[in-house]
Amino acid sequence: MTTDTPAGARVIFERPDLLADRSTHYCPGCGHGVVHRLIAEVLGELGLGGRTIAVAPVGCAVFAYDYIGVDFVEAPHGRAPAVATGIRRVRPDAFVLTYQGDGDLAAIGTAEIIHAAGRGELLTAVFVNNGIYGMTGGQMAPTTLLGQRSTSSPGGREAAFHGYPIPMTEMLAIMPGVVYAARGSVADAQTIGRTKQYLRRACEIQLEGRGFAIVEVISNCPVGWNMTPTESIERLRDVVAKEYRPGVIVDRTKEA
Amino acid sequence: MTIATIPPHELHHGHRVLMKGNEAMAEAAIRAGCDAYFGYPITPQAELLEWMARRMPEEGRPFVQAESELGAINMALGAAATGARVLVSSSSPGISLMAEAMSYMAGAEIPMVLVNVMRGGPGLGGIGPSQADYFQATKGHGHGDYRVPVLAPSSIGEAMALMADAFELAEKYRTPVFILADGTLGQAMEPVELTFREPARLANDWALSGADGRPPRVVKSMHLEPENLEVHNQHLQAKFAEIAAREVRWAGENLDGAELVIVAYGTAARVARTAISRARDDALKVGLFRPITLWPFPSAALAEVAAQARGVLVVELSAGQMVEDVRLAIEGRRPVAFEGRTGGMVPTPGEVLDALRRLRGVAAGNAAPTKEARP
Amino acid sequence: MIAVAQGSLSLPGAELPAPAGPAPGTWSPLHIATDRCKGCELCIGACTRGALALDESRVNALGYHPIQLVDAAACTSCALCARVCPDCVFTVFAAPRAPRGTVR
Repeated sequence: MTTDTPAGARVIFERPDLLADRSTHYCPGCGHGVVHRLIAEVLGELGLGGRTIAVAPVGCAVFAYDYIGVDFVEAPHGRAPAVATGIRRVRPDAFVLTYQGDGDLAAIGTAEIIHAAGRGELLTAVFVNNGIYGMTGGQMAPTTLLGQRSTSSPGGREAAFHGYPIPMTEMLAIMPGVVYAARGSVADAQTIGRTKQYLRRACEIQLEGRGFAIVEVISNCPVGWNMTPTESIERLRDVVAKEYRPGVIVDRTKEA
Repeated sequence: MTIATIPPHELHHGHRVLMKGNEAMAEAAIRAGCDAYFGYPITPQAELLEWMARRMPEEGRPFVQAESELGAINMALGAAATGARVLVSSSSPGISLMAEAMSYMAGAEIPMVLVNVMRGGPGLGGIGPSQADYFQATKGHGHGDYRVPVLAPSSIGEAMALMADAFELAEKYRTPVFILADGTLGQAMEPVELTFREPARLANDWALSGADGRPPRVVKSMHLEPENLEVHNQHLQAKFAEIAAREVRWAGENLDGAELVIVAYGTAARVARTAISRARDDALKVGLFRPITLWPFPSAALAEVAAQARGVLVVELSAGQMVEDVRLAIEGRRPVAFEGRTGGMVPTPGEVLDALRRLRGVAAGNAAPTKEARP
Repeated sequence: MIAVAQGSLSLPGAELPAPAGPAPGTWSPLHIATDRCKGCELCIGACTRGALALDESRVNALGYHPIQLVDAAACTSCALCARVCPDCVFTVFAAPRAPRGTVR
């Protein structure tokens, strides 16, 4: 902590130890910052900081290794689930986490995530879905919504021309190797709290040795969506959450 | 079809067996301490994968048949980033898929060994043997300013020995290493004395193991500030210069007093040997210069050897790739001829002999070689 | 403390000395790392007490008007601001609980 607690006061909330005490390159209001904090909180609470080997994506979160204080390897674009599989197979004692955006996971990395999930790899996958390619300047993503404008769909996404948004997490949840699949959101403090619970459960699934767990987090991209941060949170809550609905999609630990 | 013919009790160092090249390379890797294997089926190296599928679980080590060569090489990247000794094998089209990850591993300085059992190309091509991936292996393969050591066995026994050397080089210099075999070497069965060696493990301060009790480590190739990336590239170039200074390997046969020299590697070298022995009937003294490291290429040694002869013939299973490095090394001081077949065809000793005769005619018109390497 | 990875992107304000805490003898329910704030205003949207506003009288090293606590008395230390903040600028304190048996 960089601040002194006033005499006698209780600390209600503070930066988690595993989150670096520095400003980030993320745009103002970007949901990545919240997800990073949740991961730092959960890993810290579960005592996993010293055991985690995490895999960073290509995309805005390529710098995740500068902000979350665990061992990291940079994966080529989309390949994080394969890189994580390699780590998992040779390091049975490690806690292995992947962090990917929508281009990384649902476009170039579609095969890798499906097969890691299909194999039931003992991994915890974090999928931050903001429906746009932020790092490269706001192009259409596989999860961009119909009608949504982007720099590569300037007239808005059309089903006939661009196809439909891909429901990756629902698709993955069909497979028996996927023990837990949930979708969180960063729309407000309550949904953020629920997202943290999903992340925690997904980590516990790995610790319990049960199999593959994925938490998708629908997030905002103010700059990519051409909105203020506040407007982007409203869109996240009122538009995106209607198509990519938050909730637990599958929890096979609860099935008979 | 796999013929896993060797019973376990015969599989020990020094034992003489009849073994398929793909399987011998696989077993050599296992004995060299390979911690994990990731692969994908592709002809003509499927037997290597299948041998690993059976033997790695026997040794309690991870084996994964990935969803594609992309999956396999990226699994290897992750495993190797934790300091594990990792092998991947494939053939030409699959190796193309691996270019991206190889570039990342060169940039992030991740050691691993990649076997390419070369087949005819380009594209889907054919499944016959080829040496047409020389450029791919020696000139960088993936994007960016990098080189990786490339080892070229010409017999199954040598392939086994080079497997251990490859792991050693990879870890000593923190680099991916290519073993460039061809379909003939992978598929042939020959009597071989089993050569196994397990190189010692080096301590390191970069591998990922979980940040318990130390600051977190990051294995990455991105350095976004141009000044930083330049410094990193200078570091890599210094490493390549060190490898080039220390790790060149080649073998010479019958070079003393040779009028002509054949430069060939892998299966082409074996064809050349037969042509060379037949050339004696023509009173033609020919030597063989066989590069074992294709990168770093034995340029200085080749220049010296060529200076003692009248002409050089390069034989490759390709349209001519190594011949360019030969010409660069010789710098026009001797005539360099080329004989090759493509598409999975193998040059015959007769074709090589005809090429030698034509070269003799050309070379005879030149001045006698001088003792100095430089005129 | 997290050791900053070598070669990472260097931003103005990335490594600043810790901002000063509350004046001795008083305390504020919020400590705000104003030099990390990007003025996104999501905390303003989360606060149900209207206790927060941008400080438009100044610009921090990142180039934004940072957030400030304009009504400390209204703040209940609910920490909703901290939970929605993408840059973790808030540390939230609450008054110490009265000891057991004491009448408040």
